[in-house]
Amino acid sequence: MFFKIIDKESIVDLYAGLAAEYDEVTGPKTSPKDPRYVKFGKIRDASQLRLDYKTSIVPPKKYFLAADERLMRYDRTTGEVYDTEPPLQTRALIGVHPCDINAILMLDDIFLNEFEDPYYKVYRENTFIVGVSCMPSPTCTCNSFGADEVHRGFDLFLSDLGDRWFVSVRSVKAAAIVDRYLDAREVTADDTRAFQERTKRFKKALPKRMDLDQLPLLYDAKYDYPLWEDIGKDCLSCGACSVVCPCCYCFDVRDTLSADGRVGKRHRVWDSCLASEFAEVAHNHNFRPKAADRVRYRFYHKFVGNFTRNGKMLCVGCGRCTTACKAFIDPQRIVKALESEDTPASAGTRKGGGAQ
Amino acid sequence: MTENTPAIATADTYKRLGANPYRPWPARITSIQQLTPKEKLFELRIIDASVRDAFRHTAGQFVELSIFGVGEAPISISSAPSKQGFIELCIREAGTVTSAMHRMRAGDIVGLRGPFGRGFPFDEMRGHDILLVAGGLGIAPLKSLINHIHDERHEFGKVTILLGARSPKEILFRQEFDMWRHREDFDLQMTVDIPDDDWDGEVGLVTKLFDALEVDPENTYGAICGPPVMYRFVVAEMRKKDLDVDRIYVSFERRMKCGIGKCCHCGVGHKYACIDGPVFSYWEAMNLKEAM
Ligand SMILES: Cc1cc2nc3c(=O)[nH]c(=O)nc-3n(C[C@H](O)[C@H](O)[C@H](O)COP(=O)(O)OP(=O)(O)OC[C@H]3O[C@@H](n4cnc5c(N)ncnc54)[C@H](O)[C@@H]3O)c2cc1C
Ligand code: SF4
Ligand code: SF4
Repeated sequence: MFFKIIDKESIVDLYAGLAAEYDEVTGPKTSPKDPRYVKFGKIRDASQLRLDYKTSIVPPKKYFLAADERLMRYDRTTGEVYDTEPPLQTRALIGVHPCDINAILMLDDIFLNEFEDPYYKVYRENTFIVGVSCMPSPTCTCNSFGADEVHRGFDLFLSDLGDRWFVSVRSVKAAAIVDRYLDAREVTADDTRAFQERTKRFKKALPKRMDLDQLPLLYDAKYDYPLWEDIGKDCLSCGACSVVCPCCYCFDVRDTLSADGRVGKRHRVWDSCLASEFAEVAHNHNFRPKAADRVRYRFYHKFVGNFTRNGKMLCVGCGRCTTACKAFIDPQRIVKALESEDTPASAGTRKGGGAQ
Repeated sequence: MTENTPAIATADTYKRLGANPYRPWPARITSIQQLTPKEKLFELRIIDASVRDAFRHTAGQFVELSIFGVGEAPISISSAPSKQGFIELCIREAGTVTSAMHRMRAGDIVGLRGPFGRGFPFDEMRGHDILLVAGGLGIAPLKSLINHIHDERHEFGKVTILLGARSPKEILFRQEFDMWRHREDFDLQMTVDIPDDDWDGEVGLVTKLFDALEVDPENTYGAICGPPVMYRFVVAEMRKKDLDVDRIYVSFERRMKCGIGKCCHCGVGHKYACIDGPVFSYWEAMNLKEAM
């Protein structure tokens, strides 16, 4: 990785370069439906970019794991399967915050493991990622999850130094873009000092770090405590938390047929483990019949399950669920409840998760 | 705290074939047998010869069965690994996909993905006594194990099979098993909840068959598959016979969409039934939240 400095206005050149090299450029822009919000969408002109945005409603995971992805088409009569690859389109994704890049790295662990997901892989390999620095919002807890910094998973990273950008160049592709399209200069000692200052200001603005060292063990130990009933009572099973979470990735698979019944399509669509039928099997047996079971499972997967499997908690503290959940259920509440609750469920009230 | 997941043989198969693991392989239904009012046994043959040859399963693994235009469902492979070129699936009419499968005829085309998951530890079981307990449709994955043991019968000690069903009509593979009841090399016992006039076997839950059972705890592997309610009780019986927790194996049913550890539907504690299971040792299962 090496560093360069570009003017604030050079974002126009960066945009032009990426627009020339990639089929599509996407980034944070004002939501056309509600100007108070920023969403990731197609950028047609550099002036649309809102690089000083707080948090987008839906995270950029949608560019790697689409909300609705066609997996294939098939001929129902012959069983011939075709179109099993996503349309090969290259994309530049500008303006991704450190937390969201860290979340993409977590999805990599899941979708690029021994069973490579060919769709995710195509999107990942054909997307040029430009990260951008941010200042924390009141809902951010990224530092508790080690997601306030990012060292890989992007091509270029722009740190805001007021009148200029401090640019981290991570990939060969990025070096080529800088070389061809940007009027970049070398970093001076002043720039480095300003960068240090910026980082310090950012760190200072972050909330007090939660101590999560004990969290996985505590979760296991208090798995049957009544706190889950208390929190579960509030959950509306609406699934909003899964939609907005950059680390949530579960999906459902659906088939549809053409009107003449000959050609079919198979899609995968975002799902949510908070949905009541998520773990239901034949004969109406449900492994997690109550909202309390499902809330407990969602955070168990995040804080214990994935941690046990590959050493990472599936949360980057982006705060999106804090904003989205009407029932005020978020990681902070779970952590607090686990820490403070010290009364086990009285013997015989309930045993794990409604399973038999 | 990082834990290795077991090597997944099927991932290798897909890598070798360079295949998309979501892509079903067209397969032809070669024969259909009505086993009970609700269950049929299907024999399938993958159409592409190179895929057919690459397809190797172990007892306890499953496939994702595609009915084109309808969807997919995970189904255990009932045939023995030694049965090459054909795959047998024992399917109960339970919902969308399985009902559509029941409407299919010989010659029709469906799709298969797999084999997926971790089956029974056959190599480890060799040389030991075996105690198999199946409730209802739970015989589907165990049938593959039974057939495999049958193929290599001389490699095993005493083999006991306990079958439970609601009524005599609902006993799967009944004709076959009726003949086995007279064999010397398999101790096969059946019980039903609700007998009919012709029933001369036991009546009651499958756990009842344990009372008269003689088990050598030092030398026995147990395997269990059945409806969710059954596991706890059967495991308790096996523990009463002093079987080790890591020599009792259970096969779990969970909802599944992908079969390759992505869709999350089959999560059990920190594991996924599709890639870490569906077969787990009881030791693993008792340490997983919501497992039993
Ligand atoms: C590893 C494994 C091995 C298996 N082996 C076999 C086998 O050998 N033979 C066999 O017959 N079965 C087997 N099963 C079970 C089988 O996969 C399920 O019964 C499966 O649900 C059947 O799919 P279906 O589309 O027919 O049913 P579905 O349409 O999925 O319906 C089954 C039940 O699921 C629930 N359900 C499904 N979809 C929804 C929804 N959208 N909303 C709400 N509820 C819903 C309902 O309760 C319904 O009764 C196995 C399962 C696993 C995990
Ligand atoms: S936790 Fe909140 S956002 Fe998630 S399903 Fe429950 S109510 Fe909806
Ligand atoms: S759980 Fe909430 S805070 Fe954590 S990554 Fe997901 S949406 Fe963000």
